[in-house]
Amino acid sequence: MLELKDIKFSVTGADEPNNNVTRTIIDGISFKFKKGKFYAITGPNGSGKTTLAKLIMGINQVTSGSILFDGKNITKQSITDRAQGGIAYSFQNPARFKGITFRDLLVIASGTEDEEKLVEILRRVGICPLDFLDKPVDSKLSGGEIKKVELATTIARNPKLAIYDEPDTGIDLWTIEPMVNLLKKEQEKYNTTTIVVSHNKAFLEAADSLLLIKDGKIAYTGDLEGAEPILKDLSVCGFGEICEGEDNAECFR
Amino acid sequence: MLNALDKKLLKAVADLEEIPKGSYNIRKNGKLLGREISANIIIDTNKEGTGIVVTIKPGTVNESVHIPVIVSQTGLHDVVYNTFIVGENSDVTIIAGCGIHCGESKSLGHEGIHEFFVGKNAKVKYVEKHIAMGDGTGKRTLNPVTKVFMEEGSHVEMELTQLGGVDEANRLNEANLGTKSSLLVAERVLTDYQQVAVSKNEIVLAGQDSRANFISRSVIKGNSRQDFYATLEANARCFGHIECDAIIMDNGVNETIPALRAHHPDAELTHEASIGKIANDQLMKIMSLGLTYDEAVNWIIQGFLK
Repeated sequence: MLELKDIKFSVTGADEPNNNVTRTIIDGISFKFKKGKFYAITGPNGSGKTTLAKLIMGINQVTSGSILFDGKNITKQSITDRAQGGIAYSFQNPARFKGITFRDLLVIASGTEDEEKLVEILRRVGICPLDFLDKPVDSKLSGGEIKKVELATTIARNPKLAIYDEPDTGIDLWTIEPMVNLLKKEQEKYNTTTIVVSHNKAFLEAADSLLLIKDGKIAYTGDLEGAEPILKDLSVCGFGEICEGEDNAECFR
Repeated sequence: MLNALDKKLLKAVADLEEIPKGSYNIRKNGKLLGREISANIIIDTNKEGTGIVVTIKPGTVNESVHIPVIVSQTGLHDVVYNTFIVGENSDVTIIAGCGIHCGESKSLGHEGIHEFFVGKNAKVKYVEKHIAMGDGTGKRTLNPVTKVFMEEGSHVEMELTQLGGVDEANRLNEANLGTKSSLLVAERVLTDYQQVAVSKNEIVLAGQDSRANFISRSVIKGNSRQDFYATLEANARCFGHIECDAIIMDNGVNETIPALRAHHPDAELTHEASIGKIANDQLMKIMSLGLTYDEAVNWIIQGFLK
């Protein structure tokens, strides 16, 4: 349902510390996502995971290559077009507003002002109490609360493809399991193709398939078991010798 | 008695479809158009004949008074002095506002100078909307002044709104807060084209345990300009906060100058101010919910000024 064909993304100049130096962030990724499957994108910090997710949503436009969605070339489409076409996106650091309530966001996300339908979405997402609806989505919301808002507005879109960028950031440990269950339930019940960018093992275990991104390339695709040796390799600290020294020092990280 | 244009202006400034129920005073082109008083709210023309005195009896609860002004006579600059005497323990809503319609090339405007004397433990909600419309090229000016004197334990909420159409606005708000009184001001101003709006605010926290919260939201479009000054002066143990946010679009210009003056060791004064474009992450979020760029801008601005 979603096909990435040799997509590349590079930045030049102003965004970079060294002007006019081009840095390639996504370096020729090709992949076919199947309808109704659950994918986890993982990899080291700075490997290009979030950038890849943003390229799919159109938040950044690819430098080269193409993106097909349900057989249609959406490479040049805006965020709006892609959203209207059935792609929804959950931001890692959700925007905070002034004067906007959760209800306001949910109304545009779901396209209905009907109280009953809005409450139904809250139930579907597992948000209570109901007075949460009229909370302002401003800087006073906690990290966990704003992530719930983000999740709810994504699910309220009834998307064909849902992308979640690190949905567990700022969420307490006890909430991660229900969140994984929610995304799995959405995937199974509505046949939502789901892509989760995460380091969290709970999401990696829930995924049908894993994409391991390293240096802007796919380093591995397949199940978690096959990825484990590479993941382990990536998590081994390369600074042991400098940090721990020769005697008695220990890494407490 | 009300023509179509009057109705349109009244609807815009006071949400009135018809002549309101309860007490009211409607002023059109510098003259009295209609007045109604109630048992508890008396409206008299002042001695000088330059405005009205609204007297609210002590203990008046759940009543409202409408005092809209409409100006459509070309070249007219209407100046009015209104005084509100709010009795102890009352709880009332005052709905003011001015609608200007300019159909020609001559300028026209309105200056409403309002003084409020709010008695002990009285609660007042004051809603004021300013709007200007019409195809004329004449300059539309609105220079409102509000002075509020608050006695012990009183509470005043002011909603001051000017959303478009006014070419020049010079606003002055002054408040003096007595012991345990509290004031909440929410000001929302949108300017566009070559419009200029200046808002000056002087709030004196005179009484012990008085509280003031001033919220200002500005949207500056086109080549317009808005200047915002707010001063909180504390002369007793008190709490005061100023929050002023401005969104700049196009070539808008904004100066925001909050000032805090603590003349008492137990004064607690804070302010936060921000000026900037609509944040990119907000636009991305709203577009990812299916709105176009322009729709997203509009939606964010409407929420900001709500």
